[in-house]
Amino acid sequence: MFILGMDTATPQVGVAIGGSANGGTVLAEVRIAGDRRHAEQLAPAIQHVCNESGVRLDQLSAIAVGIGPGLFTGLRVGVTTAKVMAQALRIPVVAVSSLDLIATPLLDGNGGRAHALVVPVIDARRREVFSARYRVVPGGVQREGDYTVGSVEDLIADLEAGSEHVLLAGDGVSRYREQFAGLDRSEIAGPEFGFPSVTALVQLAAGRVEREEFVQPWDVHPMYLRESDAELHWQTPR
Amino acid sequence: MVGLGASKGGAILALETSCDETAAAVVAHGTEILSSVVSSQVDLHARFGGVVPEIASRAHVELVGPVIADALGEAGVELGELTAIAATCGPGLAGALLVGVSAAKALALVADLPYVGVNHLEAHCYAAWLEQPDLEPPLAVLVASGGHTLVVIFEGHGNLRVVGQTVDDAAGEAFDKVARHLGLGYPGGPLIDRLARDGDPAAIAFPRAMPGEPDFSFSGLKTAVVQHRRRDPGGAIADVAASFQEAVVDQLVDKLVRAADEAGASTLVLGGGVAANSRLRARVAEVAEATGRAAFLPPLDLCTDNAAMIAATAWWRLQSDGPTPLDAGVQPSLSIT
Repeated sequence: MFILGMDTATPQVGVAIGGSANGGTVLAEVRIAGDRRHAEQLAPAIQHVCNESGVRLDQLSAIAVGIGPGLFTGLRVGVTTAKVMAQALRIPVVAVSSLDLIATPLLDGNGGRAHALVVPVIDARRREVFSARYRVVPGGVQREGDYTVGSVEDLIADLEAGSEHVLLAGDGVSRYREQFAGLDRSEIAGPEFGFPSVTALVQLAAGRVEREEFVQPWDVHPMYLRESDAELHWQTPR
Repeated sequence: MVGLGASKGGAILALETSCDETAAAVVAHGTEILSSVVSSQVDLHARFGGVVPEIASRAHVELVGPVIADALGEAGVELGELTAIAATCGPGLAGALLVGVSAAKALALVADLPYVGVNHLEAHCYAAWLEQPDLEPPLAVLVASGGHTLVVIFEGHGNLRVVGQTVDDAAGEAFDKVARHLGLGYPGGPLIDRLARDGDPAAIAFPRAMPGEPDFSFSGLKTAVVQHRRRDPGGAIADVAASFQEAVVDQLVDKLVRAADEAGASTLVLGGGVAANSRLRARVAEVAEATGRAAFLPPLDLCTDNAAMIAATAWWRLQSDGPTPLDAGVQPSLSIT
């Protein structure tokens, strides 16, 4: 059986397909960077990985999706596609935070071990970023604390206050590179770690499918972390 | 190739998420409604006095799966028995359209069916076909809703031209704004319609904008209502509602008839949420009779946003243009060309 994974939480559209056994060997992968045309690029990318791998959609045992946080519109394209495909195929969904998908690949010989903390940062616009902290543990990275949204300055001040070595990655870091470069005891991961990894998604999902750690399509929700402007303003006392 | 020989005979599943209704429907041959499901978000937007795009988009993500399941279930059709999957690709709210288009493409991929992107405005014109497949073109169609107000001459399938449209607010928007000003609530159309029944439509002479021209304007009318209320704050609110509604309906009917005259159209058709207005329906029926024309007033659930009209339009589009490529996006400002 096979797993199809997709993430559209950032300007990158990522799709991968892999076997659900043996830790999720990826058979085909597409990454399209940059122009935020998620709705146009995702379906052809899915067709492409199916053609490349020779896997038909009716051979899937689960769909995996990065649920954000990230670009609201991009997120909705990926989450809607994953939910509706899974519903139609009558298979479960493995929902993974897109921050986890930036942090996970920073493990294996990519410098993660030399650092106490791994901090993926996704651009949230309006001078804010989505982030979370991960600690390197044997066999993986473990998240500490919540997924958060906040100003770039607050995140940097928080990291500055700690005394640990930090490995940073993600499009939020590239966007505010100058500010992050001033942070002591830190390193910025290479551009290849800038976006959520769909290879990591398929691999994580393979393990979770085996342990039956999945949800039904209607229980998959985007991780927005921020209310709509209307609701924010509505709640502000006037 | 479009296969029409399936056992369910050319049934199309369509999705509509252009504004604040999440809808799915299954229609066979562009005329026979097997199911039509609409999940309204009106309660989510009521406290803001209008549709909030981000809230609408988020709700569509949650509702689209259930409406698809309901539409297929009610129709008694399996995904694999369908001929195509369609979705509204514009005009509408970009973030909202993306959800329906993404869901439709996902179904098209799974079932290996053609995808058809549909123009929402064209679909409002096709709603009439669902009830009356033997309408004789050319038709003069008035589409009036919260987002659009235009008159379309329908010469034949795929042959539509816009002969007039609003230069500022949509008619439904005017109803919402005036209802809010009068403290009635949201959505404004049904509230004003109800209140106006107790008022005198000739009590206040509100302006009829752009006389003798094909286009519409409603922003001045809203201002006139506000100014009138300032001058006469104690006046009967039902008279204000009735007189305002009459001014809107006069303008809509006047331009519809004018377009029908020029195009030689012998049938008047209504579409869009404002077509649910009881005064507009009565006046169009009257004027049709007086000018020796037929009036086609679709049932209310085909006037407001629904997916059955999307499926009907997709049927004809698929015949004439074939499937829409899967790399096609949404077109928030799409017009009828």
